[in-house]
Amino acid sequence: MKSVVYSSPFVPAEWIAAHGVRPMRLRPDPAAALPSTGPLMGVCPYARAFTSEAGTSAGAVIFTTTCDQMRRAAEWLSLEGTTPVFLMNVPATWQTPAAARLYRDELQRLGRFLVALGGAEPSRDRLAATMETYDARRRLLRGDLAAMTARGASEAIARFDLGEEPGNGGPPPGTAAPLMTLRGGSPDPPRRNAASSQSLTPAGAAGRETRRAKTETLRSPTSHVEEPAAHKTAASGAAVAVIGGPLARGDGRLFDALEKAGGRVALDGTESGPRTFPAPFDRRRLRDDPLMELVDAYFGTIPDAFRRPDTLLYQWLSRELAASAARGIIVWRYVWCDMWAAAAARLREATALPVLDLDVTGDASEFGRAANRIQAFMEVLK
Amino acid sequence: MTGTAKRLTMEAFDRLCRRHLAAGTPMPGYAGPLARHVADGDRRLLKLEYDDSAAALRLWSFLLTEEERLHAARAAGMKIVGAMKDLGTVPVMAYSLPNVVAFYPDGAWWTPCVMELSEGLFGIAQSLGLGDALCPVRAMAGAFINQAHFPIPDLLTCSVGATCDDFSAVAQRLESLGHPILWWEMPSRRRPESGEAAVTLPGGFRAPASQVAVVRSELERIRDALAALAGSPLGDVELAAGIRMANRVRRILGELRSLAYTVEPCPMPALEMLIAEMLAIHFCSDRAESVAVLSLLLQEVHTRMAAKRGVLPTGAARLFWVNPVADLRVMNLLEDCGARLCGTEFLFCHALDEIPEDLPPMESLASMALADPMVGPSADRAARIVRDARAFGAEAVVISRIPGASHCALEGTVIGRIVREELGLPVVELEVPPVADPMWPTLKTRLDALVETVLERRKR
Ligand code: SF4
Ligand code: SF4
Repeated sequence: MKSVVYSSPFVPAEWIAAHGVRPMRLRPDPAAALPSTGPLMGVCPYARAFTSEAGTSAGAVIFTTTCDQMRRAAEWLSLEGTTPVFLMNVPATWQTPAAARLYRDELQRLGRFLVALGGAEPSRDRLAATMETYDARRRLLRGDLAAMTARGASEAIARFDLGEEPGNGGPPPGTAAPLMTLRGGSPDPPRRNAASSQSLTPAGAAGRETRRAKTETLRSPTSHVEEPAAHKTAASGAAVAVIGGPLARGDGRLFDALEKAGGRVALDGTESGPRTFPAPFDRRRLRDDPLMELVDAYFGTIPDAFRRPDTLLYQWLSRELAASAARGIIVWRYVWCDMWAAAAARLREATALPVLDLDVTGDASEFGRAANRIQAFMEVLK
Repeated sequence: MTGTAKRLTMEAFDRLCRRHLAAGTPMPGYAGPLARHVADGDRRLLKLEYDDSAAALRLWSFLLTEEERLHAARAAGMKIVGAMKDLGTVPVMAYSLPNVVAFYPDGAWWTPCVMELSEGLFGIAQSLGLGDALCPVRAMAGAFINQAHFPIPDLLTCSVGATCDDFSAVAQRLESLGHPILWWEMPSRRRPESGEAAVTLPGGFRAPASQVAVVRSELERIRDALAALAGSPLGDVELAAGIRMANRVRRILGELRSLAYTVEPCPMPALEMLIAEMLAIHFCSDRAESVAVLSLLLQEVHTRMAAKRGVLPTGAARLFWVNPVADLRVMNLLEDCGARLCGTEFLFCHALDEIPEDLPPMESLASMALADPMVGPSADRAARIVRDARAFGAEAVVISRIPGASHCALEGTVIGRIVREELGLPVVELEVPPVADPMWPTLKTRLDALVETVLERRKR
């Protein structure tokens, strides 16, 4: 089976799988980025690492337009000519029916790309069945996450994204690929009042807003996750929310450093955490119009910094921060990532909580500096 | 520079201005010595050198009095639109309405340069969390906060999507501070797939027809918002008239560019050409006057050509310049190094191309907006640079990197690679900060070396 790698949470794994192609959401290793992958200065180390690793390890690569760096990295890799590259246009705006239509059209274009790679266009039933399978697996994952440390949960999500069955001790046959990390699951409870297929019509837009708000309330990943046993041992530690961009391979050490400094991860709001899970699928819509349900569950609900306006993100944060009782926030961002650049100042304003703006280079030798800053931050919170 | 029209210091430029005013040379009310702007803090003006002509006097005064025009428009009851990021589309629509003026708050990009960082805009931006990892457009946020530069617009629009992260981040921060924004989507322009209905955009890029339709529907939202703001309909008739006027500006500028970038000796300096190109984006808040200002510059060029008089010695190295310079003084520097401009791509070549007049107006505007070099592949942008550099006879290409800009690193490398392959020309990448004085020796050395290379290559 052909595999495609991607990084953005806006690429639905089930859409790829329904085409008979194996989806692999990659957490790249910045330390392993090839020197030939673009200049060092000015290029986001995560985007650079993804481009480097994806270009050498997959049958094809999907980039998204969710940031300038990835958009341009896609071109960089396609000019290399070594791997088929698909650049998926994920609109920044989301409040208009036209934006959702554009996302849907891009999924269909992605479908044609997958067919050209050797996949097959899925029937409606096949798509619905694949979506149901993913939904069920995400529910299982959710259950698993409840008993894990922050790092363990993050790594479980990464394995899930690679295709590993939640609850199993290891990856299903053939999925223990050297790529290590993928992601894409959603451990959310079933969504009520999910969007209907009319949601792309102007009349449906307002209704979708309401549904989205309800869905968002229902999604609340951490508020539905039981306090992990491992955390209970550190219950006296100050609760901290980690919010920001993606985690690369090995970035789980962030959670270790935080716990070592006496903190407790009360909320993983990184791009690689449960924040970017799609909403659970609505059973009825899944059968009626699975593609539109996919659009609504991903494009209609995932909160992220690149969206304009970024209301969904701040609604999500306000709810989740309250639920997590976090006493401080760490903004996790790669240098040159503009999307998260202003987040620290805004969060300080919006929450009145102490905020650590942690910019990282992905260079393993520099992680000590980040750990020291985390340590100092925790001193403040004590 | 024997036989050439020399560049003037600001003092000399102001003397020229006073002479013209005393002699009764017809000048609009805004024209006057630049010293008045220095008194307001525009200290970089003291270090620039200017073209020795009445046309340049008017150009500079026109540019530097824009804020006054905007305040006057507000006082006169006109509506003010702050168009952000699209560089050339929304103003064409806004100026199609009689009681609306539009400007680009993005223009604050240059304020730290013009005021030599004395204005504190970067400091304000920093306090908002917008640090130097972002390009100089972060100054715009400072200008909204201190309100010392432009009036707060009645309507703010911002194109997002396949634009740049810097702008998107800064604009989002603005919105979080209570400035509502009408966001509109600019899809990532892609090459049409086989069998897909495609169109050729102004300027020559190809795109799927479906993408033009997306942009058109987004611009319809802008049209509605503008009409609501103005309190009068913005129909196709009004838009068609607006497009014709915009094309007038673009045609004059087109002729000016083609002469300024090709004729020997060079008839118009680089700095004035940079300013002239900027007029095409939003007419410097007065469309009719921008036609007059550009026409005067063009007339000056014709006069110099007839007299075989230029602003530089014949034989200056012919450089194609990519990206605007954050420090305007670098435009003087390139000439000091023995070079001249032979073509530019200042991020808005789509605002220089004529807008089709034979299509429904919204279709034309959508096509033009989608032709923005920044919303498509860098390879497209590179192809345009290759084409224009060839047409203008450039002998080298300078890619001027913008500090903090999210697109520059990878894009500059791609453009450099393609230009080298296609044209075999030397390419230099320079980073130009808003006040480049500390880097002057480095910049000069690199431009000197480039000029030397060009002159050496001529001997082959
Ligand atoms: S970390 Fe930021 S800049 Fe880097 S790929 Fe992610 S969103 Fe883009
Ligand atoms: S200079 Fe570049 S990064 Fe900055 S606003 Fe303009 S296009 Fe965006």
